[in-house]
Amino acid sequence: MPPDRTPPPEIVCTGLGKTFQGGTEAVQALDLTFESGQTTALVGPSGCGKSTLLRMIAGLEEPSSGSVSIGGAAPLETRKRAGLSVAFQDPSLLPWRSVHGNIALALKLARKPVDSHSIDQLIQLVGLDGFADARPAELSGGMRQRAAIARALATRPGLLLLDEPFGAVDELTRQQLAQDLPRIWEAQGTTTILVTHSVSEAVLLSDRVIVLSPRPARIVTDIPIVLPRPRTQEMARDRTAADLIEQVFSALSDSKSEAEKPLAAQ
Amino acid sequence: MTLTAERGLRLLRPRIRRPDAWLGIIVVLLGWEAAGHVLTDSYVVAAPSQILLYLANEWQLMLRALWVTLGNATAGFVLGNLAALVLAALASAWPRSERVVTGLALIVFCLPLVATGPILRVFFGPGNGPQIVLAALAVYYTTLIPLLVGLRAAPDSWFDLVRSYGRGRFSALVHVRAMAALPYLFTGLQIAAPAAFLGAMVGEFTGSERGMGVLTIRALRALDVEMTWALATVATAVAILAYLLIGALARRILLEDPPVILAMPTQAVGASAAWRDTGLVVLLVLLAWAGAIWLFDLNAFFAKGPIDVVEALFVDPDAAQTRAALGKALGETAMFLIPGYLAGLAAGAGLAMLLTLVPALSHTAMPLAIALRSVPIVTTAPLVVLLLGRGAIGTITLVAIMVFFPTLVACLHGLRQTPGQIFDVFDSFAAGPLTRLFRVRIPAMLPAFFAAARMAVPASVLAITVAEWLATGGGIGSLMALSASLSDYDMLWSSVVLVSVLSALGYALVAFVEQHVLTIYAPEQI
Repeated sequence: MPPDRTPPPEIVCTGLGKTFQGGTEAVQALDLTFESGQTTALVGPSGCGKSTLLRMIAGLEEPSSGSVSIGGAAPLETRKRAGLSVAFQDPSLLPWRSVHGNIALALKLARKPVDSHSIDQLIQLVGLDGFADARPAELSGGMRQRAAIARALATRPGLLLLDEPFGAVDELTRQQLAQDLPRIWEAQGTTTILVTHSVSEAVLLSDRVIVLSPRPARIVTDIPIVLPRPRTQEMARDRTAADLIEQVFSALSDSKSEAEKPLAAQ
Repeated sequence: MTLTAERGLRLLRPRIRRPDAWLGIIVVLLGWEAAGHVLTDSYVVAAPSQILLYLANEWQLMLRALWVTLGNATAGFVLGNLAALVLAALASAWPRSERVVTGLALIVFCLPLVATGPILRVFFGPGNGPQIVLAALAVYYTTLIPLLVGLRAAPDSWFDLVRSYGRGRFSALVHVRAMAALPYLFTGLQIAAPAAFLGAMVGEFTGSERGMGVLTIRALRALDVEMTWALATVATAVAILAYLLIGALARRILLEDPPVILAMPTQAVGASAAWRDTGLVVLLVLLAWAGAIWLFDLNAFFAKGPIDVVEALFVDPDAAQTRAALGKALGETAMFLIPGYLAGLAAGAGLAMLLTLVPALSHTAMPLAIALRSVPIVTTAPLVVLLLGRGAIGTITLVAIMVFFPTLVACLHGLRQTPGQIFDVFDSFAAGPLTRLFRVRIPAMLPAFFAAARMAVPASVLAITVAEWLATGGGIGSLMALSASLSDYDMLWSSVVLVSVLSALGYALVAFVEQHVLTIYAPEQI
């Protein structure tokens, strides 16, 4: 696979906010830049609006205020030239297609040539060798998520959006994927935005961790992760990494207790 | 989530696997045989052996008739399903049109075949036209409804996936919607195949030269018990075969068995939108009605437009008599229709509940009930009348049977919808089977029950009008048949309008009750 020559896009969110019908404010006017080629993890308490933010960046959710620019283009434009892919929280595999068929469909939708050989390579990479012809119903939850990740990678997008993609993946595979995936997106040259619940995963996978407050989502802290690559699981036990993990944890619990203050005061 | 869109439905195969079920069938056949011989002189029952003997002797006659009816049914099946596909595609491509499309479809479905048959006969003259049109009318609704449900059955995230690659509605239709709707299409086709056969037979009742319907009329007039039973047996066998054949085809093509579809879930909309859509449907019906008469330049003696009907009912010198005749006939019909409808609902729901208390039985009952639901009950109407007489009991029973099977299937299906975890909670409190039935299963069953109750309204009207026409000689069905043979077209068209409107109103009334009950018991389904 020859590496893509165009540099990965920079994503700029300007005053990006979302208020749902009925008045629930999910995201509060965010100004945020995701640098070209970087991996950024978004962490925050459940229901804080992380997924909504991700969906607005993909243009799947219309923002109530502000705008998103992906390398200077609007999300819709980027989607139309297959410049992004999303790995959804729910793997969203079509049940009547095999693993191979689901990945091929993404290429078809993206109007890219369907190269069976590189699909097989991806299947192998996410540890599903031997399951290319299996249908989603025959796979475990974790295997389905891995298939969805392979599908997201298949179109070699400039922007990769991952919404808790490892939720149902078992711990061992998770560690393996955490080692392998960054290599791919480095080789492919992607800007990656990852929504996750796991603090250690956020630290080990990304160049930057952004901690969001409970709903409506605001930026609590923005922590650069300066760790050498390739990262390994052993690094989690290193002093630096452990400190970073601790830092993210305390930012998370601060933001939570801050949000609960008004209640406690009553 | 709609009640019909749930995924991972259990396999529902109309196959009888257990030896005890076979034993049951053998016992029934033996009892039938005995009854046939004991009651030989009462002109009621033909024994299985007598039916077989008749079929062996008259196989050429039967085969010729069957061939004609099958041809008409097939033509109607193809046309009706094509219409359903086009309508579903329209509603899917333009979602705002969906309520109007289904509203129009319901009105046309509520047209009494008994009266549209003779009207079509005059329109087409001799030949196969009416049979084919009636077969098409009998099937398009049964396909349209599952198809609409199926087109909405895919989860949102699948559409997000398509959108995330910058593709629009058309790609979503091709790659997601169409495939997701395929099992639902098969469900519709499975019910449509026997319905097409029924439609073709009713078309033949209206004065065709050949076919199963013609033979049925002849057998009834001649009080030929063996012939009547033989015809009903062949019609039933064809219906079950068609049902099984499409089921087998579906299993070859699909990954899972077709889902059980009960009815279109009602959609809660604002009152103003509901009135607007209803008004639009009425307007379109009137336009299409008047437009067709004008377009085909139909003879004013037989083709009555909306204004003619209003005049016949309110302006003409004999308007009061017309109204009185219609009122009397409708009253007679209601006397049998309403008890039969309610009895069918009660029996269907009651048996379903009883079966859940004896789970072993329900495994056998479900496939049987599904297969029997496909039998065009109306083609066996002559038998029910032979067995139970031309009076109240026979008519009420026929309506009840017509309502019973779909209700039983729907309720059995609904009773299975309770999530397993809820039972785990009840088990943790050591709740008995009755507590589970009343606290969990019945509330979970209500949406399916009401869906069946709604669909049963037009079905029961069809049953009673056919019975009145063929056998009892009372009520609106008989009035329509009489008007057709006397060429009293004012009366005939007025009856068509009244019966259609009343059926649609009955449907709406059940939907209204349904909305209110579901708000309490199943708010997530509204």
